[in-house]
Amino acid sequence: MKSTLAMIIGVLVAIGLVQSTYVIDQAEQAILVQFGEPVGELVNTPGLHWKVPFIQDVRRFDKRILSWDGDITQIPTLGREFVLVDTTARWRIVDPLKFLRSVRDEAGARTRLDDLIDSVARDIISGTNLEEIIRSKDWSVDVKALGDEGVSLEQVDLNKPKKGRAVLETEMLAAASKLMPELGIELVDVRLKRINYIESVGRQVETRMISERQSIAERFRSEGQGKSSEILGEMERELRQIRSEAERKAAEIRGKADGEATKIYGETYGADPEFFTFLRTLESYQAMGANTTLVLDADSEFFRYLDSTRAR
Amino acid sequence: MSTPADRLAELLQFGPRKGRGGGGFAQSPPGRGGAKLPGGLIGFIIGALILLWLVFSSYYTVQPEGRAVVKRLGAVIAITDPGLHFKLPFGIDTVEFVATERVLKQEFGFRTLATEGERSEYSSQDFPEESLMLSGDLNIIDVEWVVQYRISDPMKYLYGMRDPTRTLRDISESVMRRVVGNRIGSEVLTTARVEIANLARDEVQEAMSKYDVGIHVVTVQLQDVIPPKAVQPAFNEVNEARQERERMINEATKRLNQEIPKASGEANRLIAEAEGYATERVNQALGETARFRSILAEYRSAPAVTRARMYIETINKILPNIGNVMVVKDGKTAPLPYFEMRRPHAPAMETPQ
Repeated sequence: MKSTLAMIIGVLVAIGLVQSTYVIDQAEQAILVQFGEPVGELVNTPGLHWKVPFIQDVRRFDKRILSWDGDITQIPTLGREFVLVDTTARWRIVDPLKFLRSVRDEAGARTRLDDLIDSVARDIISGTNLEEIIRSKDWSVDVKALGDEGVSLEQVDLNKPKKGRAVLETEMLAAASKLMPELGIELVDVRLKRINYIESVGRQVETRMISERQSIAERFRSEGQGKSSEILGEMERELRQIRSEAERKAAEIRGKADGEATKIYGETYGADPEFFTFLRTLESYQAMGANTTLVLDADSEFFRYLDSTRAR
Repeated sequence: MSTPADRLAELLQFGPRKGRGGGGFAQSPPGRGGAKLPGGLIGFIIGALILLWLVFSSYYTVQPEGRAVVKRLGAVIAITDPGLHFKLPFGIDTVEFVATERVLKQEFGFRTLATEGERSEYSSQDFPEESLMLSGDLNIIDVEWVVQYRISDPMKYLYGMRDPTRTLRDISESVMRRVVGNRIGSEVLTTARVEIANLARDEVQEAMSKYDVGIHVVTVQLQDVIPPKAVQPAFNEVNEARQERERMINEATKRLNQEIPKASGEANRLIAEAEGYATERVNQALGETARFRSILAEYRSAPAVTRARMYIETINKILPNIGNVMVVKDGKTAPLPYFEMRRPHAPAMETPQ
């Protein structure tokens, strides 16, 4: 009987001990709540702590940075393109007391964040062109550096964005942060995680990409033809140049030789033109053949003696 | 029945209140002997279990690849290095292991299923929602990448942020989309890969450092960067067209390389021929004039005789070959009488051969 009583007392003491202590983790902070009403200071140091048993409750809050991921929402941009936007944010509980009073717990906070960040994202996305959202402030496209792979540039305007993605994110953070102090929450950042076209727009964009590629392919082909013609034309020009130059040179060489020969002949034959004519004529007679009729004067040298021997 | 059960019963009889003793905790579960003294048996079992718990909860081993964060009643008291360590038992001290030495990775757009054996197996499933993004010229592009990181500070990793890995994923996706969105699609596909990877690494690291969560981003590597499936044939067409362009240019160049040397050769031949002609012509002239000079010299020594001789010799030489010879006599009344030296040859005139 005695031991049973001791046991009961022991159990009661244990329960009392458990009820009057609590452990705060390194990652936590806590507020004591007495009959639903917060009491005392914020408990911020990890370790073992005391409380009034039974009447005080511990509400624990994470001290760390927490992440929030929004639903994927369909939002039209300023240019009336529908895009799917997925936002993500990081936040932390900076004022557990306010947090406890305004949203109670993390689940409550999440629904508030859902509403807030979604509406902020909607406001900003729908007031901005898609290029502004996709590109950033440090956008710089060197059209020339793109080379032959480049886009059909007239189709897309490649202007630098006025704000750009990072600035829009900052604006979203600023807009969403306005209401946060009341909730005891600090928004660390808000980021656009994913932005994609809705399916029907996506298909249109793909069609546009296809036609863009095809026009580039077409350009390559005609470039090939053009270059080829250019090379062949250049070849033709060069061929003509080579040939005509050779012909000219050959004619020059021949002419010079002819001239030299003429000079040699002239100088030599000029010594006795009469004899040259005589000799040359004799030589040309030798070319006479069977179908030539030679008319000789009977008084000629050849017949002179023949004649004189004839008796008259 | 069994020997251990008998021995247990014996033990319980001799020391009924020694349940807290540690000697017998390795024994088999109690058999029928337990029915005799239930209180003692329960005490013994509880004692054994408590001892087991004490033993197993008072040490821990840190693997070489990591470090351990030791908490006493929720508060961090130490960070320990690899090896065997002791701690307070019964959950007073708790330990969390963090793999600080290992390079961890997050995959985007694909998943490695297993890396056993010689090659990795990849999931055949795609994750288009992770990998599809828009480039700066508002085209769709499919980018797969890997973020490799290391936990540089276990304390910050555990207590700076809840679920830092998820944040790392979110930030990686956000950063990659920003970087890709700041480029023309064709650049992303070709030349800008390395630059994009480096920029993404720096920006992810910057974000992680801002949160101060003890993550060091080792590297960001782009894997497959491709246009969306429907557009791929068109991209191939561009490649083919480029090949075709090169081919046409090469063919033209080939023809050029064939024709020009040939023409040059021909031109050289033409010139060489002309030069040959020139030499020939001059030599001919020199030869002929030399001959003329020799004859002239002889002729001058006896002009009349030589002249007559040459004339007669020539007539002699040509007369046998000549078709008809007419001899005309001057001073006779017209018509001029003549004789034909070779009458039989006359018809030959009509049929010139």
